[in-house]
Amino acid sequence: MFVFPLALMTAMHFAFDSIYDYQNSIDPMKTIVIEEGEGMYQDGFVDLVETLSEEGSEDQLFVLEDVDSLEDAKAKLAEEEAEIIFVVSDGDIEVYLQENHSVTAAAVAGSVADSYMQRYTLIADAYERDPALAMELIEDASEDVTYTVSQKDFFAADPNPYSWYFLSTLVMGILFMAMMGISMVGDLRADVSAEAMRYSVSPARKGQMVIVSFLARLIPGIAIVVVQLIVMKNVFGIYLGNDYFKLALFIVSAVMFSISFGVICGLCFKGNVNQRGNKATSLIMISVFLSGEMIAQLPGIFERYFPIFNKINPATVLNMALFKLTIGNSAEGFFLNIAEIIGLTVIFLAIGIAVLRREKYASV
Amino acid sequence: MAEILKVKGLVKRYKELIAIDHLDLSIREGEIFGLLGPNGSGKSTTINCILSLLEYDKGEIEIFGKPMSPKAYELKNQIGIVPQDVAVYEALTVYENIDFFCGLYIKDKETRKKYVQEAIDFVALNDFVKFKPSKLSGGLKRRLNIACGIAHKPKLIFFDEPTVAVDPQSRNKILEGIEQLRANGATIIYTSHYMEEVEQLCDRILIIDKGHTIAEGTVDELKGMIKKSEIITIEVAGIDDKTLDMVREIKNVYSVNYENNTLKIEAGSGKHNVIDIVNLLQDKGYKMKKIFSEQPTLNDVFLELTGKQLRDE
Repeated sequence: MFVFPLALMTAMHFAFDSIYDYQNSIDPMKTIVIEEGEGMYQDGFVDLVETLSEEGSEDQLFVLEDVDSLEDAKAKLAEEEAEIIFVVSDGDIEVYLQENHSVTAAAVAGSVADSYMQRYTLIADAYERDPALAMELIEDASEDVTYTVSQKDFFAADPNPYSWYFLSTLVMGILFMAMMGISMVGDLRADVSAEAMRYSVSPARKGQMVIVSFLARLIPGIAIVVVQLIVMKNVFGIYLGNDYFKLALFIVSAVMFSISFGVICGLCFKGNVNQRGNKATSLIMISVFLSGEMIAQLPGIFERYFPIFNKINPATVLNMALFKLTIGNSAEGFFLNIAEIIGLTVIFLAIGIAVLRREKYASV
Repeated sequence: MAEILKVKGLVKRYKELIAIDHLDLSIREGEIFGLLGPNGSGKSTTINCILSLLEYDKGEIEIFGKPMSPKAYELKNQIGIVPQDVAVYEALTVYENIDFFCGLYIKDKETRKKYVQEAIDFVALNDFVKFKPSKLSGGLKRRLNIACGIAHKPKLIFFDEPTVAVDPQSRNKILEGIEQLRANGATIIYTSHYMEEVEQLCDRILIIDKGHTIAEGTVDELKGMIKKSEIITIEVAGIDDKTLDMVREIKNVYSVNYENNTLKIEAGSGKHNVIDIVNLLQDKGYKMKKIFSEQPTLNDVFLELTGKQLRDE
């Protein structure tokens, strides 16, 4: 439940790398700047483009090419030896792109030109009073180039299989904590294991041990999920939102749900502890699969044809709560899901504690 | 000696099957009491009812003079169990297992530490204290199983078939250990379907089959309940039918069999059975090679009382 989800996420990460960074990184484009006339406007724009062409800089967008004339520049564009041509004249910037130009090239070129035109007045004033300030403004302008999308918006793309996979893998790991619930049953039911039988014959109070046994599993379970979330956020770059209170609420209720679900499975299934665990594993894998772990569109299909299933499938309920919290930004939706999770947990725990506290059995 | 355990009229049903049928039991302080019967006779069911693990339909159970129930914690404190299945945690070492189970009874750390070490010494697992159970042989696991059940020095100990699938060396060690426990003041209830162990260990035995008491008493008392109390085997060649008839007429002889020059005689209780038979054969001029005399076993007792063997062949 700790290593397996991280292993899957690592495989996913290495298969696709950090898809956010991948899609938001720009290879510097070959660019030509043609000045028509002389003036501060043209000089300022050239300085801006040169700033954005600094080799090795994180913000490098361009690789400047030297040409003698606009005709030469257009020839290079036609031969795909350049991607962007800026023709800057006094108060105006024209942009030329390849016929089959990329969206990125258009976005970047447009953004640079717009950003400069908007800031020109400030930059021009600064040039007269304080050239150093003018350079600062030019650098600020380069940072304003909005060719990237925020991580939140990026991951909110609907559907986003990449983020969905990571979240549902986390949920799968949480659901596997049901094995802890099954081991609780093995530890405490004398008709399941000999150790529990020895335990039941002792003067130890059953009620106390049920609670201690539960807490001994809940605390490490929460710690495991916290570590997994830290790895997801910092190593795999998955967006998890900013509401840490709701995230904590999700973690605690999801882990409690999973352990109590395991207790119910352990009480309902027959056989020794391993056999009960195997049956629970099968049930969890089916639940996780039907929640869209491998096929992200599945919950959508159920929502269309059999909506009640999404409300009773544990993996889907947990997935949706996490998704609404991190990306969907739907507080009401999140709290509804959490209420369902907590409600089920209370029922499972009530049944589990009542049965586990029993000290006499019909058969042993 | 005080009565440690009393069971009266115990009945346990599983739907239509009567697993225990009006069983009575009385065990005195300091004795080793054997519960002997074939597989499925109700031995473990009886133990589980006594320990309040199993619901039962009728009967009274008292331990140390008090009614036994799941909440009788002061009684449970003085009981130890060595179950039939090895009941130890695979994730803990030998020391940790004994410490854990002892800790259910003994809260004081120093006392518990002392008891745990004594238990380890008792079962001779000193060289294995850091091992996990998966690394132990079957015999060593059984010894660990025992240590976990007796570490807290209970006054009443239940051994439920403790030597199943155990090598002879470990088996002897276990039986010696049980005698030592009795010498240290414990009362022991020992269930088994191995009659040799029960004969060797137990002061009194209850033979049970299909939940019924078949017979109860000391080994000698049980053997005295059956007709066959001596089996005499004589190697002698060429006995004629007339002589065989004369052997049959000797007092206390009730079965004569002659095959392959071996005369096998089953006789009831009598001090002079062998002498009477040997004198007769000598008078008839027969030369005897070997003469054996053996007492009946508990299996013979069980066979005569139930018509079945104690162990499935």
